[in-house]
Amino acid sequence: MKLAIATTINGQREEIAVHPNQTLLEFLRDELKLKGAVEGCSVGVCGSCTVLIDGKPVSSCLTLASNIEGKSVTTIEGLSQNGELDPVQQAFLKHQAFQCGFCTTGMIMAVKGLLNAHKQPSEEQARDYLSGNLCRCGTYKEVLAAVKELARP
Amino acid sequence: MRKFDLIEPKSLAEACALLGNHPDAKAVAGGTALLTIIKQGLLLPKLLVNLKKIIDGSAITFDPVQGLRIGALATINEIETSEIVNRHYPALAEACHVVANIRIRNMATIGGNLCHGDYQSDPPTVLAALDACVEVMSAANVRQLALTDFQLGSYETALQPGELLSAVVIPPLPAGMSGHYVKFTTGSSEERPCAGVAALARIDGGVCRELRLAVGAVSAKPSRITAEALAKDKILTADLITTIAAEAARAIDPIDDVRGSADYKRHLVGVLTRRALEQLANGKTEMKS
Repeated sequence: MKLAIATTINGQREEIAVHPNQTLLEFLRDELKLKGAVEGCSVGVCGSCTVLIDGKPVSSCLTLASNIEGKSVTTIEGLSQNGELDPVQQAFLKHQAFQCGFCTTGMIMAVKGLLNAHKQPSEEQARDYLSGNLCRCGTYKEVLAAVKELARP
Repeated sequence: MRKFDLIEPKSLAEACALLGNHPDAKAVAGGTALLTIIKQGLLLPKLLVNLKKIIDGSAITFDPVQGLRIGALATINEIETSEIVNRHYPALAEACHVVANIRIRNMATIGGNLCHGDYQSDPPTVLAALDACVEVMSAANVRQLALTDFQLGSYETALQPGELLSAVVIPPLPAGMSGHYVKFTTGSSEERPCAGVAALARIDGGVCRELRLAVGAVSAKPSRITAEALAKDKILTADLITTIAAEAARAIDPIDDVRGSADYKRHLVGVLTRRALEQLANGKTEMKS
């Protein structure tokens, strides 16, 4: 039997029904067709399924969909406003902070979380905060360059 | 994911009653441990009791007489960023900060961490050094036991059917006691520990009045090192530090695992203990994780 819950997804209030054993990642991709968050490791290690719940990054692959009840979820699809890319997306483009792109949506959401936690993160804070988002193309240097620009007052 | 049903109590008491009535059900909070195990097919419960809808289970409060009380549903991130924890028990904040990655710390709870009973974990080692107790609740009563009695072995706890871990309680520290958690990973920085050492000391005019030393992630549960008593009323000289570090390495009963062999872990415990004690001797109160 499905569970009926009220939640907010990308700023939109929604009444939704989720399966008891459904993860947030499954719900976003299969029901809402929001395919930005992707499944990498499926056990909370790689970060490619990162979304924000109340502004904090979580692994949507290990979050029960039911647990977004009363919370506000932000996915990569919710970042751009009026056709304008979010500053984090723009900085990633400018610094070419991706190669194959598989980790990118998660990496960008993690940087959003970083900037929510620290308005002007130091490089050390950025490295520490982003250490759990893996990029097999090795674009860490470019990601840190993007963060450095975003951290400028 | 694999099929299971979910019941969502709104209070700890209701959750205990549900677990009592459904002996095969599993409690789930952050889900970072249990859902991983379910995905791997190691455990296939038909019913999960979801603790995430309980509102009053995560408060962190401090009282100078009673000490610190952490509601079991507090996330690891709530503990590492808690002003109270950072002020009174910075070593605990340090250990919580080095758990996994920020996403896991935002989801995982301290209660889940302890009930999962994984020996390859950071917070239990510091909690052992802090003489922490856990509060265990059932529909009928509440009991308190030392953390070291709660953790029975690898993935094994003293939790009985129908019981929930409701809080972690840490007595106040003696005035002037401070210390560190030193973690070593053989993988990347967000890996589980290969070994971890927590060292707390009360040093008064250069003389160590009390030392507490706990070692974790090397055997089924964290252990206090009895050689900590050697430091009482002594100056932490290089010789004494070498002796205690050697004793710590000798006293443990390490096991081989994917993060290091038993021999390697024994060596590591000697090195980490020496480093932790050197920091205490040098009076460093801040440590980089």
